[in-house]
Amino acid sequence: MNRLIRAEMRRLLSTRLWRWGPLAALACGGGLTLLLVLIGPERFEPPMPGVETAAGVRIVLSAVGLTVLVPALFGALAVTSEYRHRTIGHTFLFAPKRYRVLAAKLAAYAAAGAVYGVLVAVAVAAALYAGAAARGVPVGVSFGEVAAMLSGQAAAMAAYTVIGVGFGALVRNQTATLIVLGGYLYMVEHALALVPGFNAVYPFLPGGATAALTESSLMREAAAAAGSAPTLLPPLLGAAVLLAYALAASLAAVTAPMRRDVT
Amino acid sequence: MTPVPIEVRNLAKRFGDVEAVAGVSFDARPGRVTGFLGPNGSGKTTTLRMLLGLVAPDAGTARVGGRAYRDLPEPARTVGAALEADGFHPGRTGRDHLRVYAAMLGLPDARVDEVLARTGLEAAAGRRVGGYSTGMRQRLNLATAILGDPAVLVLDEPTNGLDPEGIAWLRGFLREAATEGRTVLVASHVLAEAERLVDDVLIMHRGGLVAAAPLAELTGEANLETVFLDRIGALA
Repeated sequence: MNRLIRAEMRRLLSTRLWRWGPLAALACGGGLTLLLVLIGPERFEPPMPGVETAAGVRIVLSAVGLTVLVPALFGALAVTSEYRHRTIGHTFLFAPKRYRVLAAKLAAYAAAGAVYGVLVAVAVAAALYAGAAARGVPVGVSFGEVAAMLSGQAAAMAAYTVIGVGFGALVRNQTATLIVLGGYLYMVEHALALVPGFNAVYPFLPGGATAALTESSLMREAAAAAGSAPTLLPPLLGAAVLLAYALAASLAAVTAPMRRDVT
Repeated sequence: MTPVPIEVRNLAKRFGDVEAVAGVSFDARPGRVTGFLGPNGSGKTTTLRMLLGLVAPDAGTARVGGRAYRDLPEPARTVGAALEADGFHPGRTGRDHLRVYAAMLGLPDARVDEVLARTGLEAAAGRRVGGYSTGMRQRLNLATAILGDPAVLVLDEPTNGLDPEGIAWLRGFLREAATEGRTVLVASHVLAEAERLVDDVLIMHRGGLVAAAPLAELTGEANLETVFLDRIGALA
């Protein structure tokens, strides 16, 4: 198994794709956070609590949850890229027990997703404190609480990477995977948060579970202003829901390609 | 080299309405080059993919050294397979492609350098495969197949895209492999090439086997092309 994981790490690091990871972490984590802190949630439309309050910090940190699209799409490439470039034939010839290949991909991509998550967390923390200092406002929660929320989000990035791997293994077609996964995470789920009837479901969707990690989300605040805010799960339960999605995706990834013909 | 024969028995596969392979049985023996001949679409590639566990047969068995491919303890160390030479990520270098698969077998990077030298790819190893010619892809495909020093070689149209020098080189390569006691199964539709290369002949037509014999016995006084066209009914 270790051989297969090492092979997947080599596969990952031997094309140029991974070099975009740190850049994306800097932009999605640091850039976005700095922007929100410098503008200040109190100047959002509708106005929200500023970063000198606990609620304001949560809102700013929750915005990073909107960028889970990046690790999810990255994870989706793990399997779809092998079908697109037709390397899957060689791969299954070298490891005909296919679940082992998928298990190795899950391990390698979970590790890569965790590294990405840590980079995002560090960038967000730096941007939060630098932005607050630049504006001369205090940060409304203790560093310990910021660290706790960001650890949760770093883990969420790893979870979304695994979700992406599983979804890609199910669908296989790269374009279809990117469109469906991207469309869902970018639009459908956020739209659901605004639909009154779906309020009960939203906390259990991946996005709602991610929002629970910071006990806040921009979408929820916007919905609250419109008078239809869904209630989020407690952070630990949100993390558990996200973990369940990651496990379901892993199960799908490991079982999906077992009997399919590679022609 | 321990002899490892290929035994195919009553293999069959349908894709929807198309009966791709209709009950095919044959052996490929160690120390011989077996030519797997037939027109495009005759079922050669599907048969090879079933042999290699990539396509699940509807019926029949395919065994390598007495076991199904996926039940071999280390399949890529027993069977080296080179199917269509288009299975490469264009952004990865030839060497890195081989390093990925070497890692899957737990082989050191030194083995990668050996197969690069063996297939004449040293100079191109550091370049991205996206810039490779068809002939270079064929060589890289073969290099991947021989990473594990397998006793069986299964090649699908390995001369496609090779220049005359490359074809001559491949002929020598496969002859040497057979001399070492390896089992070599080569699918091809280029009869003139096959005639100079193979010891045993299998001819596929419309999903069935229409000839299986040593080349000399099959051709007698005619040439392979005449026999081939006769067997597939093109001379009627």
